Amino acid sequence: MRLQRASALLIVGAVFAAGCSSESVDERPIIEVFGTFREADAAHFAATVRPFEDEYGVNVRYVGSGSFVRDIRERIANADYPDIALVPQPGLVTEFAAAGLVRPLAAATADAQRAAYGDSVAATFNGALYGVWFKASVKSLVWYRSDFFATHGYEIPASWTELVELTEQIEADGMTPWCLSMESFTASGWVGTDWIEDIVLREQGSDFYDDWVAGNISFEDDAIVAALETFGAVVHTPGRVAGGTNRILNTPWQRAQDPMFEEEPGCLLHRQASFQEVHLPTAASFGENTKVFPLPSVDGTEPPLLVAGNLATAFNDRPEVVSLIEFLGSAEAGKGWASRGGFTSPHPEFNPDWYANDFDRNIGEVLNQARTLRFDGSDLMIPAVGTGTFWSGMLTYVRYGNARDAAAEIQLGYASAEPFDE
Amino acid sequence: MEPGDERTYSTTMATDLAPISQIWGSITQREEWTDDERADVLNDLFPDDERIVPYLKRFATLMILSTTIAAFGLIGDSAAVVIGAMLVAPLMTPMLALAASLTYAQMRRFVGSLSLIVIGTVGAIATGWVVARIAGGSLTAASLSSELLARTTPSLLDLGIAVAAGLAGGYVLTHKGAGSSLPGVAIAVALVPPLATVGVALELQANDQAIGALLLYSTNLVAIVLSASVVMVVSGFVPDYIRQAARGKIGLRLLPWGIALFAIAVPLAAHTRAVVEDEVFVGAVAAAVGTWDPQAVIVELDADRTGDQASVSMTVATSADHQPAWKLASAISANLRIDLDLDVRYREETTDAASTS
Repeated sequence: MRLQRASALLIVGAVFAAGCSSESVDERPIIEVFGTFREADAAHFAATVRPFEDEYGVNVRYVGSGSFVRDIRERIANADYPDIALVPQPGLVTEFAAAGLVRPLAAATADAQRAAYGDSVAATFNGALYGVWFKASVKSLVWYRSDFFATHGYEIPASWTELVELTEQIEADGMTPWCLSMESFTASGWVGTDWIEDIVLREQGSDFYDDWVAGNISFEDDAIVAALETFGAVVHTPGRVAGGTNRILNTPWQRAQDPMFEEEPGCLLHRQASFQEVHLPTAASFGENTKVFPLPSVDGTEPPLLVAGNLATAFNDRPEVVSLIEFLGSAEAGKGWASRGGFTSPHPEFNPDWYANDFDRNIGEVLNQARTLRFDGSDLMIPAVGTGTFWSGMLTYVRYGNARDAAAEIQLGYASAEPFDE
Repeated sequence: MEPGDERTYSTTMATDLAPISQIWGSITQREEWTDDERADVLNDLFPDDERIVPYLKRFATLMILSTTIAAFGLIGDSAAVVIGAMLVAPLMTPMLALAASLTYAQMRRFVGSLSLIVIGTVGAIATGWVVARIAGGSLTAASLSSELLARTTPSLLDLGIAVAAGLAGGYVLTHKGAGSSLPGVAIAVALVPPLATVGVALELQANDQAIGALLLYSTNLVAIVLSASVVMVVSGFVPDYIRQAARGKIGLRLLPWGIALFAIAVPLAAHTRAVVEDEVFVGAVAAAVGTWDPQAVIVELDADRTGDQASVSMTVATSADHQPAWKLASAISANLRIDLDLDVRYREETTDAASTS
């Protein structure tokens, strides 16, 4: 039987990557880890914790969900806690911490995290750290069809103005400039939030960005509405995005860039994070027909970098759980995954030789050398907004095109935020 | 059934093997053959110089027509049409002829019938390819009809069918009065539909499926020739003076076919094991779904397990308040000790009704 993929309303995926099978190994204590990595990534994560399993004599049972935020909330509501969650949103970890659901880091682990990252990324509550940064991605990248750039004489834009000029030039040459799609199960919309964050960070600067992410600046502020409209100039200009708004809303984000590699490319530019690497279609070859450039700054200065990643946080303080958290926060943590490709370690002491390919190594270098680094804002915002109305508001904006209405809808998330345990 | 068989069937089935030994007794029951009668049967199998041209014309015509019918039936997913093609198919005759030439040790006839089988085989594949080229329509390698797919994964069951059909074919040939059963043999061990499947699959560049269908055809060919040969020897159709002159050589001539049958049984056994494993896995998944959400009805299920890795795609109809996929994945994974990729599509149950008068 083949699954007909046309007739359904909703899809959810999950993966279980378990450890070993021999009798003695089966009797080891089990640590249950719940996260977002699915399919091949689930196997990569299993590979990365294998040295820990052997050293500590435990089995790590990993479960990955395509609807992580919804599912972790439901699990908490049912008091069905995993031992560890790998959370892409530090804001969610902070919320768990405030509700007393997760444990602060052990002193030595907390000190090591502060030494590596300062306080910029980790989830803090009342001065204590609640998570370790395990996996990083760089979001402010534009993937492009490099061989077409060469044959058409297009140049890498150094400023936002040049990016707009390039977009118009591609249109004048009879092609569609942008690849873009936002469908992502119950997390649909996050691709749009990344665009807005990158634009706000560039147009308004990092201090403004921090205030906005902290909730001190409203989405209805003129600057945020203007950022929405900058994004709107891409999605709502006919012929600027492959497939138009219909494709943006209905195509899985992993497949956004596929048209770029058709015989007549359906689009030439795709603003997406480094993790797009593992979702490129087979016709793509990094370095040969596709490369990346950083999304340029407004004035041509070195652009700020938006990053994201997963924080590991513990729901109890069993010794093996505390040890796994310490392991996941260490420089060696991602070694097993890095050797399989598609992984960037945020850790400044991660050995570049451990990377499987130059792309991952370059992203690691970019991450370590960036002067202005900001964590993905929607992941830091309170979850009612960051994983709630900001996601849904972006879908509203793409569909209906009114920036002020969308901004008002997103801002409503702050008013409706409820204490976690209700 | 031969007169007198009723008596053997009415005896008690003292052991489980009794029916088998009774059937075997029936097959090996010696008919009284005169040399003229033998010559008549052999002449039908191997037309002589005068009749060879009309025979070849008839063979070619029926071969092309039956493969064309089969290919259309396969593409159109019609079992009835495919069965019709089996009734028209002329391949059984040269196969029984091949078996006879082996047991009678007639080299010229052996080469002749083997050549005819090879030419018929290649011609049938080519015909299937041409029909798919013309009428393939919306079929793609990823969306083969179920009639086509049914012929691409042969198992030990097919080997059993082919052996029994070969015995039946040999029996019909060597027992007077059983001739009207031959169409049934042709249906049981279809030769032309697998060949048409090979041609259609090749045209669609579904190479794995083409190889599967070719394996099914090879299974049938080898099993029919071998088991029909055995029946001819044990039933007395091969006269005693030939058997005595040949001594152990008949066995020696059949040996390569026995080896071929064994060689084919290996991939078939592997296929069968995979099919059984998948079915057991599907059963376990369905049971887990029942525990996960008692209200869920599986609409579609695609499950594949290789060792301790598995992937499952399913569509379920359930109440609007559906269970999350991770719970099901977690349960299946823990029960079976496997790594699992799971995709669940939820189809909400909604009903609607209207009446006019």
